[in-house]
Amino acid sequence: MVGTMPDVQPLVDEFITKLNRRQVEGSLDTAKLALVLLRQVISAQRIPPNSPANTLIEAIKSVGVRMIAANPIELAVGNIVRRVLHIIREEDASLATTVVTGVTTAVDSDDEDNLDIREQASSHAVAAANRSVLRAPSLHNLLESMPNPIRADVTVASTGDSDARSRSGDKNSRSWKLKHNVIESINELLVELQDYHSQVAEQALEHIHQNEVILTLGRSRTLLHFLLGAKKKRSFQVVVAEGSPRFQGHKLAKELTAEKLSTTLITDSAVFAMISRVNMVIVGAHAVMANGGVLAPVGLHMVALAARRHAVPFVVLTGLHKLCPLYPHNPYSLLNDMKSPSEVLDFGEFSDCLNGATGGPQCHVFNPTFDYIPPELVSLFITDTGGHNPSYVYRLVAEFYSPEDIVLQ
Amino acid sequence: MALKRATRATDIGDDEADVPLQAVLLADSFAQQFRPITDERPKVLLPLVNVPMIDYTLEWLASAGVEEVLVFCCAHAKQVTSYLEHSRWTSQSNFTVTPIESRDCVSAGDALRVIDQRNVVRGDFILISGDTVSNMSLKEVLKEHQERRRKDKLAVMTMVFRRSKPHPLIHQTRLGNEELLLVIDPSTKQLLHFDSLKEAGGRESARQQTLARQVVLERSILADRPAVQLCLDVQDCYIDICSPEVLLLFTDNFDYQHLRRDFVKGLLSDEVMGNKIYTHEIFGDYAARIDNMRAYDVVSKDIIHRWTYPMVPDIRFASPETGIKIGRSNIYKEDGVVLAPTTVIGPSTVLGTGTSIGDKSIVRNSVIGRGCTIGSNVNIEGSHIWNNVTVGDNVQIRHAVICDGVVLKSGAIIEPGVLLSFKVVIGENFTVPAYSKISLVRQRPEEDSSDEELEYAEAASGVAESPPSPFYDGRVVNGSPAHGGDELPESPRWDPSEVGIAGAGCNWSAGQDEEWRHSVAPIPSERIREIVAREEEGELEDDARDMTASSTNDNIAEQVDDDEADEEDESAFFDKEVEALFRRAVTGEAGAHEDHVVLEVNSLKLAYDRSFSDCAGAMFTALLNLASERPHTTSRDLLQNCRQVVVQWGPLLRRFLKSQDDEMEVLLVFEEICVEDNREFAPIFASVLQELYDKDVISEEAIIAWASEKQQADESDKVFVKQCERFIQWLEEASEEDEDDEDEE
Amino acid sequence: MRRSPFLLFDPSLDNSSSRADSEEGGMAVNNVQTESSPFYDERMGLNSNLLTGPVTFEWLSQAEDARLNGSSDAFQPFLDKAAQSAEAAMNGDHASSRFSVINEFNIWRQKPELAEAVAAIKALTCVIRRSEATTMMGLEIELKKAAETLKMWDKTSISLSAGCDLFMRYVTRTSALEYEDISAGKSRLIERGEKFGEISLKARQTIANLGQEFVYDGSLILTHGYSRVVLALLKLAASQGKRFQVVCTEGRPDNTGLEMAKELMGAKIPMMLILDAGVANMMGQIDMVLLGAEGVVESGGVINHIGTYQTALVARSMNKPVYVAAESYKFARLFPLDQMDMSPTPRIVDLAVPAQEENIKIQTSERDYTPPQYLTLLFTDLGILTPSAVSDELIQLYL
Repeated sequence: MVGTMPDVQPLVDEFITKLNRRQVEGSLDTAKLALVLLRQVISAQRIPPNSPANTLIEAIKSVGVRMIAANPIELAVGNIVRRVLHIIREEDASLATTVVTGVTTAVDSDDEDNLDIREQASSHAVAAANRSVLRAPSLHNLLESMPNPIRADVTVASTGDSDARSRSGDKNSRSWKLKHNVIESINELLVELQDYHSQVAEQALEHIHQNEVILTLGRSRTLLHFLLGAKKKRSFQVVVAEGSPRFQGHKLAKELTAEKLSTTLITDSAVFAMISRVNMVIVGAHAVMANGGVLAPVGLHMVALAARRHAVPFVVLTGLHKLCPLYPHNPYSLLNDMKSPSEVLDFGEFSDCLNGATGGPQCHVFNPTFDYIPPELVSLFITDTGGHNPSYVYRLVAEFYSPEDIVLQ
Repeated sequence: MALKRATRATDIGDDEADVPLQAVLLADSFAQQFRPITDERPKVLLPLVNVPMIDYTLEWLASAGVEEVLVFCCAHAKQVTSYLEHSRWTSQSNFTVTPIESRDCVSAGDALRVIDQRNVVRGDFILISGDTVSNMSLKEVLKEHQERRRKDKLAVMTMVFRRSKPHPLIHQTRLGNEELLLVIDPSTKQLLHFDSLKEAGGRESARQQTLARQVVLERSILADRPAVQLCLDVQDCYIDICSPEVLLLFTDNFDYQHLRRDFVKGLLSDEVMGNKIYTHEIFGDYAARIDNMRAYDVVSKDIIHRWTYPMVPDIRFASPETGIKIGRSNIYKEDGVVLAPTTVIGPSTVLGTGTSIGDKSIVRNSVIGRGCTIGSNVNIEGSHIWNNVTVGDNVQIRHAVICDGVVLKSGAIIEPGVLLSFKVVIGENFTVPAYSKISLVRQRPEEDSSDEELEYAEAASGVAESPPSPFYDGRVVNGSPAHGGDELPESPRWDPSEVGIAGAGCNWSAGQDEEWRHSVAPIPSERIREIVAREEEGELEDDARDMTASSTNDNIAEQVDDDEADEEDESAFFDKEVEALFRRAVTGEAGAHEDHVVLEVNSLKLAYDRSFSDCAGAMFTALLNLASERPHTTSRDLLQNCRQVVVQWGPLLRRFLKSQDDEMEVLLVFEEICVEDNREFAPIFASVLQELYDKDVISEEAIIAWASEKQQADESDKVFVKQCERFIQWLEEASEEDEDDEDEE
Repeated sequence: MRRSPFLLFDPSLDNSSSRADSEEGGMAVNNVQTESSPFYDERMGLNSNLLTGPVTFEWLSQAEDARLNGSSDAFQPFLDKAAQSAEAAMNGDHASSRFSVINEFNIWRQKPELAEAVAAIKALTCVIRRSEATTMMGLEIELKKAAETLKMWDKTSISLSAGCDLFMRYVTRTSALEYEDISAGKSRLIERGEKFGEISLKARQTIANLGQEFVYDGSLILTHGYSRVVLALLKLAASQGKRFQVVCTEGRPDNTGLEMAKELMGAKIPMMLILDAGVANMMGQIDMVLLGAEGVVESGGVINHIGTYQTALVARSMNKPVYVAAESYKFARLFPLDQMDMSPTPRIVDLAVPAQEENIKIQTSERDYTPPQYLTLLFTDLGILTPSAVSDELIQLYL
């Protein structure tokens, strides 16, 4: 399957090795790169006339699985892959229904005979089936067939035949149409990603008010845009916790002061002391899980708890590319990235404590990248599509992902 | 850091757009630390946390933006090359691996000469060996190097160092290689002096070492430099950024063998050429070379503790197809590991796919390869177990390295530091003693453990052509490469005393005496204790020497006082001083403890450059003087005094009687005294002597020897011998008697 | 007496299908007048005279095997009576067919591995088979009656009513796809009905697959009562080589926890048995609580074997995740606001009281309601849902 597109293969491999070496960082960039790559894959994929959707889906899956395996911690990759798969399914289904309706209308215009009735019935069935394919499994279709890809294929294939019977020869045109539509909507998605920052920043004014004190930890580009967006009309204070061990907070503080925002830099350990004076905590996220839980730079769980203690709203800025349809099974070990301890302490200084040669106890250093923040600690998600409640996240998931893609292997 | 890593790959490319960045990788350590394993498989293909070492090196080079790697293979060249062919490195975009084969190289020097002949190196290159694990960014060091080069063509090489405190007691870094001493110009980072201190072993070397600590620098080094920096806490990463000239230098001086011992020192020593070596210290990043078993152990621990990120087990840079999960406290589990419900997996452990572990088994701080079968009630601690190893029930393995295809029958006990090479079989309930190395390959008689020898066993013969390591495509094919026990040339009859009943393999005699320094096992505490003891002695020697210095000084002063000081005077001085010391001891003055007396006498001895016997003599005189000073009227109570003195101070005197000669010296001195200084001792000579004997200050042999010596002397001298004739006779009989006893037994 | 949830959410009230409404509505209204179902009248009576009379061993043993085989045949006499009376109450005039849907239902219910809802749908399928209605509409009305009968007969069984509602909903929707001839429609419905058993099994599988992800190595899992789904989930996880331990409560009064324990032992899953009262004592070491459910209500909360509520409360107070595994056909259209909102479900409980003492009141409720805020996630065949997602599903279906 992958073999059918030799020209993109090297690109894919390169991207995968990059992911593997952790040379692509930041979920937004990763998402963009992945999306562009998948678009290339699709455009390079030559599509057989019958069941074109599945060829595409298979192609994407085979690439996607490898990309995800290359860096399972960067969830953005998986999200994008699933988004693309969803897009393909959607486009395909819409095509199918249009075709079907086309058929039925044609039939109705003719004079009745029982063949047409069967035709009609089947067309209804097909339409229903297609709907069911699109829809998440729900009480509606519980008693109908369980929607699964295989069945989807069958129906799709049948429609393929039916419209072949009605007007033959335009198979290719149809598969071409599918491909075209898919690439179209991928481009839309790409645009979405591009002006994600501005989209989020636009909403800043609704959330940040005059003379408020905002607390944050570490640095995220989204956050920077958001604050600057608010600064256009409001004057407010920002308290930045440095965010050890990577100390991104220092950078943020620099940038903010450069933008003439009154900024205070504190240590992470001072957060609790500070929180009572704060009106709102705004932070960036690494990923949002399907239950509304958040993966965010390490230290934020403490901040969230502190905020909860003083009833300070804890607001998370995130984009839909960070929305992950998975649930945090064991977030502390599975979804976390354990970086090198050298960020935490200087090897040279401690090399004798790390020395196991004498059989004595060693000093172990532990350097996780992320915290998992349970949904009940999050007050609000601000995404490029507006603000959402943690309990609403599952709706977004249902909206943007097809259930059969959630498990790719 | 993350950002740095992100940009790394690209930036190096445009640092020098014209020449692709090259690296020379020596896939042969030209050393023997890993024998006997390396007789069957080249070191660079040995698994380090289930991944061949060379993959770490190549992965690092690739991700650091190196475009072409020249892999120099020597021992087992076939294995290495065929591994590379089948590896994914061949299929990498803008990263090429070119093997260079040569059989007759015996050192890194030769290798580089060969490379020079082939002239494949076009520009500056990175010189490393295939057992280097690192995640350092080459960006800065390359930039530095190239800038220096622009300024001055003679800056031919930049060595990478990393701070790492050596062990305070056993002077070696945690990687087990010996402590380095560098002299660096702090401003320019130029390397001025490179010296590796000899390992501390035995009292002698302890002293040596203290000597070696006194580094000697040429004046030229110190000239026109405001400051120089002496570093004792650095570790050589064996990562060198070299200019093409380096190769020429090797070709020019064909006697350069070892990269450090010959090349670096040579370069630093010769003023004529004026080539300069510079240093680069890395802080955040990791870099280490595995050139002995301890290093192997330590580095794999570092990998498990993620110092080498992103080269860690759960990022599958080597074999992406096997999924692996990391649990809390660094437990890495590949998919398809089968554990019994009651198995206990301790912290810092890696389990390879296809491995199954039985009930109630405990695995801690260990790496277990792929396809291993481990029985129940097994206890594995701090060990490295490679692929397809079979471990029976109730086996104990502590701090051992166990290669592919080894079979441990149930009840076997593997003690710390053991190394079992490929396909060795250990019989039931057999205990493999600590630090033993067992292999199916017989140890070749002409075994000289100079690490300057090639690591291969008859590379031309069967071994090199043998089916190489199972690491192609990470999949586990049957474990070990060379020498299935069946196709062994030698007699397949193995000695049960070495490997137990129905075992297979033969024991290799330990190369160097101090196995424990470089084995995977942690250094046993008693070792450390004795070293501490030695050290202290060493220290003692030191202060002794210091005192020497001081006392020589005041000695000089004295000499200033009276010019015509000659030999006797000096000896007189000596005797006086000793006596003075002794008196202080007797009167128990300011901290004049026995040991101190010994110490000071020692120092005097050095100062006046006397022998122990002199000291003994002096001391003895002092004793007698003491005795004679004590109030006495008759010779009887004088004897009484002598008894007391001997009882009290005999032991002290004894400490100066290192040998029989010393004792005889004492006797002679005694005679002398009786004859000249203090005649009142004459009558009681015999009884005092007997006293000395009883308090065994003086051994019977000494006395007998003394007597026999006196036989030839003229009558006047024999007077005392005569006096104690009976005593001596008795002694002789006694000694004869117990000789007879011995005969009878 | 107290308002019953059925008053608030009678399916027939908001039933979108056209003509039936008027009379159905009427029926619904006089359903409401009859507060508790005839079946339970019988049972109550039985209980009362049990409690007044001395507690005899026979009674206990009877109660025991009542549990063991689907809690039905011990009461067979009462059941039949109940059936008659219910029939009478329901379709007194429409007594054309002497076939009793309730008996049918009970027959199906004997089968192990068959959830109540499935049994109900099977029963309804039989109704379709036997009905000689000539139009889809007729068939639909007939079915409605049968469904009502079932629900009336045992009001308190959530899954039963849920099953009926679900099937009825489906019927209306299929007939909405105006099939020309009744036979086609009938056959389609029957086929679906027949399939449903298998569908429910499949659902169980899906849930197991989704849920086992949450069981991680070395975890200690607390269960309460007996649940086929939970069992399937744990078995699957174990079969995937995960090493975990299960803590079962005994699950008084009918000791369903023991059942669970037996099954787990059979599956070679290391397991520990504790008292219902020992939950809090144990909770400290527990990693997650995994529960089944009799019914999932619109609030996203669950109705389940008594003791579930307290387990969830304890878990919450110790910040342990509480997962509920339930097939989607258990989604019931109830909205209990508190424990009182559930119709009484008396049960024979042997609290060791001297039966002579009439003035001792015994609260014998069989199940309790756990509000959504104490649940972390629900594993359903519709995917993993947050409690708030449940109401969505229900709304989508019935509005």
